[in-house]
Amino acid sequence: MQIDRRRFLALSGAFLATPALAADRADLCRRALHGWYRLVLELVRHTATYSPPVAARAFAYVGIIAHESHVGLVPGPLTLAGQVQGLAPLPAPAPGLDPAAVLDAALGRAMGDFFGNTGPSGQGAMQAMARKLAAEIDRDLTPEVAAASRAHGLAIAQHVWDWSLSDGGAVVENLGFPFDYTFGEDPKDWVPTSDIRIQQAPLLPNWGKNRTFALPAPDLCTLPSHPEFSTEPGSAFHAAAMEVYEVSKALTEEQKTIARFWTDDPMLSPTPPGHWVSIVLQIAERDRMPAERAAAALAVLGVAIADGFIGCWAEKYRWNLVRPVTYIKRYIDPNWETLLITPPFPEYPSGHSTQSGAAEVALTAFFGDNFAFEDATHADDGLAVRRFSSFREAAEEAAISRLYGGIHYRFGNEQGLVQGRCIGAFAAQLKTFA
Amino acid sequence: MRSAPRLAALLLPLALLALALPALAEPVVPVFTDETATAGLSTVFEGEWEYMVGGGVATFDCSGDGFPEILLSGGAAPSALYLNRSARGGPLVFEKTGAITLDAVLGAYPLDIDSDGLMDLVVLRQGPNRLLRGLGDCRFEDATEVWGFDGGTAWSTAFAAIWERGQDWPTLAIGNYVDRLAEDFPWGSCTDNWLHRPDGRRFAAPIPLTPSFCALSMLFTDWNRSGQWALRVSNDREYYKGGQEQMWHLEPGQPPRLYSEEEGWKRLRIWGMGIAAADVNMDGYQDYFLTSMADNKLQFLKDPATGQPDYADLAFKSGVTAHRPYTGGDLRPSTAWHPQFADVNNDGRLDLFVAKGNVARMPDFAERDPNNLLLGTAEGPFVEAGDRAGVASMGIARGAQVVDLNLDGKLDIVVVNRWTKAEVWRQTGESGGNWVQVRLRQDGANRDAIGSVVEIRRGDKVERHEIVSGGGHVSGSVGWLHFGLGDAAEARLRVIWPDGSAGDWMVIPAGSFQILGRDRPAEAWAPG
Repeated sequence: MQIDRRRFLALSGAFLATPALAADRADLCRRALHGWYRLVLELVRHTATYSPPVAARAFAYVGIIAHESHVGLVPGPLTLAGQVQGLAPLPAPAPGLDPAAVLDAALGRAMGDFFGNTGPSGQGAMQAMARKLAAEIDRDLTPEVAAASRAHGLAIAQHVWDWSLSDGGAVVENLGFPFDYTFGEDPKDWVPTSDIRIQQAPLLPNWGKNRTFALPAPDLCTLPSHPEFSTEPGSAFHAAAMEVYEVSKALTEEQKTIARFWTDDPMLSPTPPGHWVSIVLQIAERDRMPAERAAAALAVLGVAIADGFIGCWAEKYRWNLVRPVTYIKRYIDPNWETLLITPPFPEYPSGHSTQSGAAEVALTAFFGDNFAFEDATHADDGLAVRRFSSFREAAEEAAISRLYGGIHYRFGNEQGLVQGRCIGAFAAQLKTFA
Repeated sequence: MRSAPRLAALLLPLALLALALPALAEPVVPVFTDETATAGLSTVFEGEWEYMVGGGVATFDCSGDGFPEILLSGGAAPSALYLNRSARGGPLVFEKTGAITLDAVLGAYPLDIDSDGLMDLVVLRQGPNRLLRGLGDCRFEDATEVWGFDGGTAWSTAFAAIWERGQDWPTLAIGNYVDRLAEDFPWGSCTDNWLHRPDGRRFAAPIPLTPSFCALSMLFTDWNRSGQWALRVSNDREYYKGGQEQMWHLEPGQPPRLYSEEEGWKRLRIWGMGIAAADVNMDGYQDYFLTSMADNKLQFLKDPATGQPDYADLAFKSGVTAHRPYTGGDLRPSTAWHPQFADVNNDGRLDLFVAKGNVARMPDFAERDPNNLLLGTAEGPFVEAGDRAGVASMGIARGAQVVDLNLDGKLDIVVVNRWTKAEVWRQTGESGGNWVQVRLRQDGANRDAIGSVVEIRRGDKVERHEIVSGGGHVSGSVGWLHFGLGDAAEARLRVIWPDGSAGDWMVIPAGSFQILGRDRPAEAWAPG
């Protein structure tokens, strides 16, 4: 079944608007999962703190909460406690709990925990979603079962929230831009690329020190050096910059479309990690995946992309490489302009490429190789649906899009995929089902 | 494309301005006295989610004494019109009237719609907008239906007006925000802006300005000096999908048409909340300050010769990013609303006031967010003086007007705050220079000559002021146009009237009020 973004949202909305099928508790679980995730994609877009690394972190925790809400309640799901770093065994469910009420309560609590700093519209939307889902889900439950189920959901969310506070990424000040930062003095070193005052220091320079999830340590998937920095024509580095420049001068309409499809700008989209979450939600909708399966996929994906950003950020600040726009304006063409807005942090490797590589490996392990899907993530923003024959194809398109956009060298994209695939392999090893 | 030489050319006039004007090494910091407690303004902009934007103020003279009255929007509470009882140069005194008590008001703009010499009002509301016809002596009647105006039912948050060529009735642009019935999931629910064109001496059915992207400010501007005014729209990216900042062609008799990328319009997506226009670098073209969150934009036309509306953002280089509080200890990013260029210290250089305040209680943004008063300097970049001037209020500001409330030649400031009383400051220190104030008058339609341009000589340069109705954050004024002169004893200026005809250059003595009538010598006026 082909499904575009509008239909996807309409269906999600319909879940909330139509009366529950009394006997179909599984469908209620799906409604809760899709309803809250529909909202979380908007909260990421509309909460100023949610730059891509921060968003990926939230997606990991929310995914784990969704997954753990099913453990012990429906056949199959296995806890991630003991599999991801620092997650202690979660509260076990009492007999007779309702999975839908557990999931709804857990995700509702997670929204408030992880998006408590969103604006008044987000706050209102969270409250409205909670009211609607609770009314629907609890309608056919006894008050005792509803209360006990919700208490368990809250306990799951509380447990994960408590765990999250010690990972190094719980507090984000000044939208992630440090008040003080010491710049490198070498010509190869990153310098600010925009005239936005708050972005005169790079985003989240310490994010690479955060606790990882499935990746045992951030330095397990490190990268070799980029080509040696040089301004000499004919050097590998100069050639890489020239490629960015030349490609930008001859972009086809398809290349522009690809660049814009994967630009996934913070505050204007669900961000790059949210793009992959959106893909999974669309697949889950298309295939009418049981909520526990979809939640497991979202948990694995969340772990992969969160680890991807931690590993990538460690490398970015180890290499601290200048962006193409800086190099090209300095040494090639002072009037050059990029198609996309250059993000405010070092170049090597590409963050989107890294997390896409991680997502590719994790999702391929979950769904299988050559798993075809359509991606309508940006349909509401006027971008056409794109079709992919595999997660690998999508990840590679995401990576090359950064070259088309003029914001990364080819080697930054390619090595990003390499690093991401290395990181994603750890997430892929998580055992989510018996 | 932006080139380094062109960039320098955009900035150079800021520096040359220093050479062209009497030497003032540092800007004179104006001194304001907070007269909120005594001025008699008691209206509070109330309301919750559906009043998180808005909060406008309109200033205009409806009593005929030349002193500006104040209309304060009340949001969920009644709005109120205050008569100006101030004496010239004296403390600010206002008398609350029952003339306008509409509720659900987000903002208002004065506009003599029927050109009868009595100021009318366009009232933007949460729900049906209203047109109030002035009857004299600050009395008003609802003329919405009589004038055929469809007030709609939307959440109206932006306004601009112009008299299109050949029309004796204005064209009104109304900007609308999110669908207020979509509170549970408001994203992507922006409702259509409307363009109300004339049908004789009333309004035709509105034309939707589709696509619309949750406008919070609109402004007609002759950006390329073609004589054909375009409509700039600043949009709030918080709620639109696929949106951006916009500019519309508005050609007589033709449907409105968006400027396109092929024409040079560049995609910009911000939390657009207010527009202020001025010829900051005195290149003869309007520059635009756009308020947003955590950043603000100051756009200069890159190269007029290309004919393309392609702008460079020089806010950082000009010192007007105003991205975080500069005093009060809250280091989180700012939220900016009403911007207004004006020469508050009369030194002959444009200054910039920005009203600041958190949307509500958003923890990622400053909750103690002082208003900015950015002074133009001899060196080019603006410098912050809000705290030294005494206007660094931590109120949750929205709309504002910088206007001479007691007609002493020194600009005063009134600010609408969310949930607390409007604040008003009287400028009480020594003036940093001379000034003139003028009003434009023409017979027949459009008596206040909206769509005129006042050009004033600054040394060997000419500063170009577009006379508009619109912009800011749901706040507007019609009345005396104030120009600081520095040490100059007279102003040399001329008016280019709405039909494009240029008046003669005039010499206006400093310290005077003048009524500039079309094809007539300037007419001196004095308060009282």
